[in-house]
Amino acid sequence: MGILLGLLFHGFAHAYTGITIIMSASTPTNLEFVDHFKQELINEKQPNLKVKVINLEEVEKLVVAENSELVIALGVKALSLASKLSFTTPVLGVFTPLPAYNGLLASSGRTLGAFSAIVLDQPNARRLLLIKTILPEAKRVGVLMGPTSMHDADNLIEVAEKIDIVINQKNVYQESELIPKLSAILESSDALLALPDPFVYSRETAQSILLTSYRYQKPVFGYSQPYVQAGALAGVYTNTKQLAKQAAEIAIKSQLAIDGLPPPQAPKYFSVIINRQVGRSLKIQLSDEESIHKKMVEAEAKR
Amino acid sequence: MNFFKYTFFFIFALFSGNQLFASEEVSVNETSTKEADTKKLVEIEAWPLLISGKDLSEDDYLGEVPRVLTVSRLSQPLSDTPSAVTIVDRATIRASGIVDLPEIFRLVPGMYVGVNAGYVHNTNHVISYHGMTSAYSGSMQVMINGRSVYTPLFGGVNWSELPIVLADIERIEVTRGPNAASYGANSYFGVINIITQNPSDAPNNSIIATHGNGRNEMFYRHADKVNDFTYRLSTGYRQDDGLDNRNDFKRTRLLNAQADYRINDKNSLELEFGLADGARGEGDINEDPFIFLPRTKQMNNHYQLIRWRHNINQESDFVLQAFHHYDRSDDQTTSVNLRPLLGIFGPFLLNDKITIKNEVITERFDIEAQHNLNITKKIRAVWGGSFRRDMMYAPFYLGTNKTDYFDLQRLFGHAEWQAHEKLVFNAGAMIEHNDFTGTDVSPRASVNFKLNPNHTIRLGASSALRTPNYVEEKFQRAIKVPTAVPVPNNTLLLQQDANKGNVRPEQIISREIGYLGNLGLLSIDTRLFYDTITDHIRFRDRNDFVAPPGFTLLDPDPSTPGVIEDINNGTNFGSAKVTGVEAQVKWLLMDNTNLLFNYAYIHVRGKENQLKKNFVNSAPRNTVSALLNHRFNQNWDASLAYYQTSEVTSLGDGDPVDLTRRCDLRVARKFNNGRWNGEVSGIVENLLNTRYEEFADYNTLKRRARINVSVEF
Repeated sequence: MGILLGLLFHGFAHAYTGITIIMSASTPTNLEFVDHFKQELINEKQPNLKVKVINLEEVEKLVVAENSELVIALGVKALSLASKLSFTTPVLGVFTPLPAYNGLLASSGRTLGAFSAIVLDQPNARRLLLIKTILPEAKRVGVLMGPTSMHDADNLIEVAEKIDIVINQKNVYQESELIPKLSAILESSDALLALPDPFVYSRETAQSILLTSYRYQKPVFGYSQPYVQAGALAGVYTNTKQLAKQAAEIAIKSQLAIDGLPPPQAPKYFSVIINRQVGRSLKIQLSDEESIHKKMVEAEAKR
Repeated sequence: MNFFKYTFFFIFALFSGNQLFASEEVSVNETSTKEADTKKLVEIEAWPLLISGKDLSEDDYLGEVPRVLTVSRLSQPLSDTPSAVTIVDRATIRASGIVDLPEIFRLVPGMYVGVNAGYVHNTNHVISYHGMTSAYSGSMQVMINGRSVYTPLFGGVNWSELPIVLADIERIEVTRGPNAASYGANSYFGVINIITQNPSDAPNNSIIATHGNGRNEMFYRHADKVNDFTYRLSTGYRQDDGLDNRNDFKRTRLLNAQADYRINDKNSLELEFGLADGARGEGDINEDPFIFLPRTKQMNNHYQLIRWRHNINQESDFVLQAFHHYDRSDDQTTSVNLRPLLGIFGPFLLNDKITIKNEVITERFDIEAQHNLNITKKIRAVWGGSFRRDMMYAPFYLGTNKTDYFDLQRLFGHAEWQAHEKLVFNAGAMIEHNDFTGTDVSPRASVNFKLNPNHTIRLGASSALRTPNYVEEKFQRAIKVPTAVPVPNNTLLLQQDANKGNVRPEQIISREIGYLGNLGLLSIDTRLFYDTITDHIRFRDRNDFVAPPGFTLLDPDPSTPGVIEDINNGTNFGSAKVTGVEAQVKWLLMDNTNLLFNYAYIHVRGKENQLKKNFVNSAPRNTVSALLNHRFNQNWDASLAYYQTSEVTSLGDGDPVDLTRRCDLRVARKFNNGRWNGEVSGIVENLLNTRYEEFADYNTLKRRARINVSVEF
């Protein structure tokens, strides 16, 4: 398989000795990533891989030794810049939503072996598995889709069918449709699955979506940690440390690989977050995060 | 065109994305990667459009989201609550077909609702729970979004004067049983909390119109969002002709507004205001042919509320709320020629007729702070304090031109402890200090055993005090007739109320065993209760009243010379035991058929033979109400309501009335035409046209029909 890919992508040999991390901004999350990433390399006994860190604001300092360095871009802006580097420089995006990655892949004309990502999006199977784990009785899951998320519908429906879940979907084209369509979904669903789409789920709409769902006494499954804290029942997410671990694994593995970077991938490691207060108020029995996580990992392994 | 390009791009980008995504999870195959590779070349052109749209960035996953369901917004599930709670939601209100808000309480087990076109500042519905029914007893806390709306005058609510539209209501939470620890003053027999629709849930524009027997009304509602500011406005006009045989018409113009402003992630402001004004028919020939003749009075009121919600952290919230309420009614009546009626005094009257000006102004200022917090994972608490000032200007009622002030301070605390997954303890207390009765404490405690997720048993005890209202404590109502010469004094006096004051608060101690069950498609909420009421406040005739200097006291009943009857004096008199059982059943009979069934058996026991009306009969022994709703298809639905109340003799203004049965039918059709949607419904109240009386023998009800149209756009 690897050989095949390698041939397809012009057979680059990425024998790199250093890593440059480009941060979109020096946010606490990005800085934390850098720390964890370095720690992972130490843990994995990779002292040869030198790590340089650069902020997008000081981009003029960016000097990448072509073909001998891996660039890890933190955030969409950093990835956008990195996509403009020489095609032979391997670039790995982190903290990047899948649609943004796809957009950059398309616009830059880069090839997969030298342009990859660990996207922020959790696989649909995992999102639904969480629902099934917490609410084994759930039969109908509502989804409110906007322009970004609606193209993911086919995959979601397909994955849901396998675990006997019916997706109750409505697409939102205008802001004014949001609440009426949400209400219609809530009336006929056991839970609402929130999927990342800034048109539907944003800081601005959080209040009305969460309050409306609460009024219908229907749990919301969030797509991020903050969304669960805001009032969703539970969610799967990948924390910075887990992303750093996965990124380090990719960096080490592909160091000498002739087939370059692996294809873009979903987060391998994940955590579960639950909102116990919301659970209680909705009369939903919740076991602790660790045991839900454990059950899910076991279920994922079985598949 | 751009839109299509944009969508086109997305479809490709995501389609290829899914392929890639899948490739990681399943296996990479040659074709899929090739496809992705070639497609992206085509898509580059569309790129500039993509970045102009709302793009997904890491911020959407990692950025803060304002906390919405914070501690103060999350309610206890019914299986954890310390009291029995009935929730009447929007759908039930709609299905019931009611047009007057208080009618909905017929669907609350144990509650008595009586239409009453009474005659003192009070053409109103009488509502009571577990007895002591009276046109004046303020034995229930009534709130709209946490704002107390009962009037300090008689402790009840002037329902028709509330600037609220039925369509504004999201749900009504009725706590059956005393709950002073959580809701404060007046939470005596129960608590009604009306919660209005969140502005962001209201349709952009809607018009609701009703036309029918004795009723015409039309309302317009508008809601919108401007950045972080969401608001809703409702306005309209209501014409209610009242009962056929009473002069009790009501014409009301009203406006209310509600707005939410999100200051930042941690702070938000909620604003509300409303106003109502209009004319009211008062007075009835059959009641008083001499002085309080049929007339029209004007009323107006307004309120303002501001609430600041501050999210301290994940575990605690702070809420500060202040509101003001103003209410005025201006009643003026001129009597018939009194000379022939006053016997030997007749020739000496200064004028043939007298004019009574009865202007009443009440005003309420209230500020409350509340702190909700999770003390540990298992203990949740709320505590706070409030200050209230009620102002009352009512020269005719109070016998003084001075404004009277009633101050009330309270401190409250309530905690819920989830000791075990099957055991929840609730305990709380309120300390209240007020100008009428001093300092009082109302505690409560309960324990809920959750046998399993579907069966809960609740044991509870709660105590509450009812502070006397103005009618019981301070009314000094009198009709004064001036004379031209002293006979022996210059003014004749017909004294109606002469309260001595110093009435102690009435106390209730309520004990209950409740059961909540979910049996598949049927859910049941039932309880056995045992309430003891002590120091019951009621009016007793005062026979030691001495006219003040300058007045000659008239005897309204010359057949008993020397004894002056019918001078009311609020007194603590008697105690009662109220026992019974009540149940609410919700049953999903079929996919499209719901049944709501309520039953209550209430037995009041007490000794007080000296009084004309015994409170033993002040609650109907048996009440039944049911609402059956069936949806035929997406557009058509119908509901049938049934209400049955056994005979009752209410106190304060009430008369013995017989068993009543009433059946209402509502048929509705929805319309939807892309741009707007709406509903037309026809309602027949008292379908079988049974003639019956409620509350007093002069409130005769018969069949009424109306049509309701609502359009949302």
